[in-house]
Amino acid sequence: MMKFWNKEKHEIKKAQTQLNDQEQASQVVADKYNQRPKKWIYNSAIALIVVAAVIYSFISSDISIRNVDFATQFYYLWRGFTHPNTDFLFDMSKGGVPYLTLETIAIAFSGTFLAAILAIPFGFLTAKNVVGKHWSKLGEVILIVIRTFPEIVLALVLIRVIGMGATTGALTIGIHSIGMLAKLYAEAIENMDQGPIEALDAVGANIWQKIRYGILPQVIPDFLSVALYRFDINVRSATILGMVSAGGLGAPLIFASQAWNWSQMSSVLIAIVIMVIAVDFISSKLRQKLV
Amino acid sequence: MLAAKTITLPSGKTVKQPFNKIIIPAVISIAVFIVCGWVVLQNKGTLKLYEIGTIFKQLFSPTDYPAMNIHHTWADYFGYLFSLEIREALGETLRMSFIGSIIGSVLCLPFAILCSQNIVKTKWIYVPMRFIINLVRTMPTMVMAVIAVSLIGMGALAGIIATSIFTFGIMTKMLYECIEALDMGPYEALQSCGANKTQAFFYSVFPQLLPTYLGYFIYNFEINVRTSIVLGYVGAGGLGVILQANMDSIYTRSRVGAILIMMFLLVLLMQAFTRYVRGKLQ
Repeated sequence: MMKFWNKEKHEIKKAQTQLNDQEQASQVVADKYNQRPKKWIYNSAIALIVVAAVIYSFISSDISIRNVDFATQFYYLWRGFTHPNTDFLFDMSKGGVPYLTLETIAIAFSGTFLAAILAIPFGFLTAKNVVGKHWSKLGEVILIVIRTFPEIVLALVLIRVIGMGATTGALTIGIHSIGMLAKLYAEAIENMDQGPIEALDAVGANIWQKIRYGILPQVIPDFLSVALYRFDINVRSATILGMVSAGGLGAPLIFASQAWNWSQMSSVLIAIVIMVIAVDFISSKLRQKLV
Repeated sequence: MLAAKTITLPSGKTVKQPFNKIIIPAVISIAVFIVCGWVVLQNKGTLKLYEIGTIFKQLFSPTDYPAMNIHHTWADYFGYLFSLEIREALGETLRMSFIGSIIGSVLCLPFAILCSQNIVKTKWIYVPMRFIINLVRTMPTMVMAVIAVSLIGMGALAGIIATSIFTFGIMTKMLYECIEALDMGPYEALQSCGANKTQAFFYSVFPQLLPTYLGYFIYNFEINVRTSIVLGYVGAGGLGVILQANMDSIYTRSRVGAILIMMFLLVLLMQAFTRYVRGKLQ
């Protein structure tokens, strides 16, 4: 009986020390939690700055609406969008929507094709594992300069040289896209597996054989997928380039908007929506096949 | 060319060389390029290659027309570079894109939740929602600006509407993809500890989402600055307005050059700024 009592007491004591340990442990955790880095001053300062910026920009912007009869405007908008100009939409001549849509896609495709080829040397000359760190910096700067020049401005400059028309649009897209394509190409080249090249070295391949059998099979799927992605973007920018008379759907859109011809505008918009959705669908399917 | 080549190895085995699959896309894309190039070349202007030097000289040096008695110096050029007109236009561009990004990224929150498959489990809510968002995203910002300008008139408001609709579309898409990729483990763990759904959301989903959301916001702000620079070309406020006003006359072309330099500096500054903020967020 006594022995049993002692044993029970021992167990109770053991349980108590365990409990104490747990309490101590949770106390340590709580202390550590209270000592956590308190960044509320920093965070609230940033929040204040952002809120102040929002209020300032709302106040100082000229966002008053002058003399706009909203009811009439939206009525015209609604009527125009429910009654697109079908004569213009199905006009099969060179001034009609179907031909201009084709022209827009052609501008985007030929521009992307040119850029995809022209960007290959730029990409290799920007990759760190090909030319080294210092030259790669120089290449990056050149690519940033190409990328930051807005497309419309480039088109405006090129129009003086090449003249108005779809060719200017295609060249504009070709030059502008080099910036992004070459950067992504360079990333693909930098992420390349060096193993096959070393293996080709070991069997005595020359530099062209190394490029043909070691580098190209690795980078071509990446290059194609990047170019397809850029084609998506370029279809959208090709519609804009028409606004500065560089060919495509932009020109009838801006003429219709200046004349408040909503029905003509809506037929152009329908074409843009269908074209962009179709191109997105096709290129995403193709990219899935590539990867 | 397309037939498979058989090679006999020294050991006597024959190996068939596999068909090079890259030929198919290469041939197709070259064929499409030829067709597209033909279509594009149908509509070409007159080539004036000698203009290249002239236009760059007109853009990046002060105007000098003795016949019109216009003699500008480099002081005039740099004076215009930092003039009030350009500074105001720069400010308007920045404010326009900032307000547009704020409105768009606040509006996108409920729509992103409605679009995400793991929160809204009903198929006939998230599928039509996604369709609407995709429809919004097809419109380039410039086209939006054209519609807004003809609807409510010229000015910064048209640009704000255009940028906020663009930001709304792209942010919703990025955010719902992010919500779907979230780790829902902490959410369930908190619920099993006795937290209710709101508490569980704010202590598990919210902290995961916040850095990504802020990163997307900064990314969109940068894109919006780039696009709203040229939005003014169709009358939606900002630098594009003075660009368009000075583009037509040869006497003001040096001003266009100055505006281009400022555009370039603005975009570079924005790039540096977003890189800095994104580094802080991670």
